[in-house]
Amino acid sequence: MQPTSSMKEEFLKKWQMGIQICGPSIDNTSVSERKKVIKLSADVAMASLRKGTTCWSRALIQKTATEDNSLVRQMLSGIKAETLINKTLPKKTLCHRKIVRRSKKILMRRNARSASEEAAAKAKKLVKRKTQGLRSVVPGGEFMNNDVLLIQETLDYIVSLQTQVNVMRSIVDATEAGIER
Amino acid sequence: MKRAIASDSILYRTDKSVLERQRECLKYHNQLDQAGDNSNFAACFSNSIDGSIGPDPGWENGWSCFGLGSLEMNYGTVAEDKEIPSSSSETWRSGNFKKRKLESVKGVGALMEEDGKQNMNKKMTGVFKEEEEDDEERSKITEENIGSTTKSITKKKKVIKEQQNSSNGSSKSDYIHVRARRGQATDSHSLAERVRREKISERMKFLQDLVPGCNKITGKAGMLDEIINYVQSLQSQIEFLSMKLAAVDPRPDFEAVDDIFGKEIITAQTTDYKNVVMPSQEMVNSGYLQFNPIQQVVQSSEDETTINMFDSDPSGEARPIWDSEMQNLYSSLGFDQGLSPLPTYTNCQPLSGSMNTNNLKMEM
Repeated sequence: MQPTSSMKEEFLKKWQMGIQICGPSIDNTSVSERKKVIKLSADVAMASLRKGTTCWSRALIQKTATEDNSLVRQMLSGIKAETLINKTLPKKTLCHRKIVRRSKKILMRRNARSASEEAAAKAKKLVKRKTQGLRSVVPGGEFMNNDVLLIQETLDYIVSLQTQVNVMRSIVDATEAGIER
Repeated sequence: MKRAIASDSILYRTDKSVLERQRECLKYHNQLDQAGDNSNFAACFSNSIDGSIGPDPGWENGWSCFGLGSLEMNYGTVAEDKEIPSSSSETWRSGNFKKRKLESVKGVGALMEEDGKQNMNKKMTGVFKEEEEDDEERSKITEENIGSTTKSITKKKKVIKEQQNSSNGSSKSDYIHVRARRGQATDSHSLAERVRREKISERMKFLQDLVPGCNKITGKAGMLDEIINYVQSLQSQIEFLSMKLAAVDPRPDFEAVDDIFGKEIITAQTTDYKNVVMPSQEMVNSGYLQFNPIQQVVQSSEDETTINMFDSDPSGEARPIWDSEMQNLYSSLGFDQGLSPLPTYTNCQPLSGSMNTNNLKMEM
């Protein structure tokens, strides 16, 4: 599942559009400002490729919308920006920490474990922690209470990240080559 | 009567098959005949051997019981020859007609349960439900059916076979078919859990293909670690690249960004030749003209190459791949003009999509 060329093209178009939108405002700004704009527009372009079908793209759009609302709105003009920005993500499952701790304690007491069980429990805990880490890395991961969904979204996210990196890298190379001349 | 009891005891003693027992009975009967005894016994035994239980006026209670017993024993062993050979002696000794019948049917039930364990799809006789149920439920139904012993064994067997055939034929798409292997739990919760785990492992395989260097790692925790690292590296790469794009040019800011735009437009044109002409392109070109006359040449040569590409492929159906286009572009930029390609540039060359983190580190 490598990023396809059509995806790259689409991403490039969207990104270009985004940079053009905020082109005039870039004029006399510092490097960091420009970098921010470039990154934001790239993010929105990447997220808009999915047209709000995936959880991570919606979360990313919402996140960027808090930073630069007008840009996102203009970039997403083709695909109903409002609905995407205001689309509610699946609800976060919350449980009271105290209750969870208490129930865990009870469970621990109930089954005094053997060595092998202990190891298995440790491994499980490790996997759980790693999954939590993945949640924090993938945008909108906190809202995916389902492991299957999380992994699916991660797959999709990685593919679009790869497209983004590919396109950006090629452009950087092109500009560098142009400068060298 | 004493003789009758003696014959009974002989029969009870022997744990042999029916035929043998009957042969013994005949022997005993012959002996009795030779001794010149009552002929009622002969009639009785012939009856019992023939298998018809006609009411005989000469019969006494004990004998009628014996005749019935032998018949039942016969029946039981016939049934058990088909199925379970071990329980024949028990059924004989119990002597009770109904009990024995129940037991023989239970034997069939046990067989059915075994079948269930071997994952044979069954739907039960009286129930005729269409839905696919897991094995445990199925076996429960079989047990219920054992309770109602109205139907004959052979009929049941036939029905089971029919059910097997029909269930093999009917497969609905609405249901997820889960098959528990021998020794696996079969309640609905663990089945669902198993399905979930299988799904996750399937997705993980995809991820393994996607994330470089992940296929050597076994274990979910390690894989998740690798995936997290990869995603983070991609994110940081994007950060880095956008930084680079922002600060790529030593010239004043405006020109630098425009430079990016110009390149983008060119690449966009190569990918889509029907593209609407970008308004900023002229500006960019003019900028090049003003600042760097050599670049103008490069630009024009690029345009030529793109035009050539699309001339060779006017239909646009089999459009060349993006990467190859880019590479063409850059080869025309870097190599065709006889300019020495820079080492960093060649390092960055993997435009074909396989970007690796080492590259980034080297550049950094």
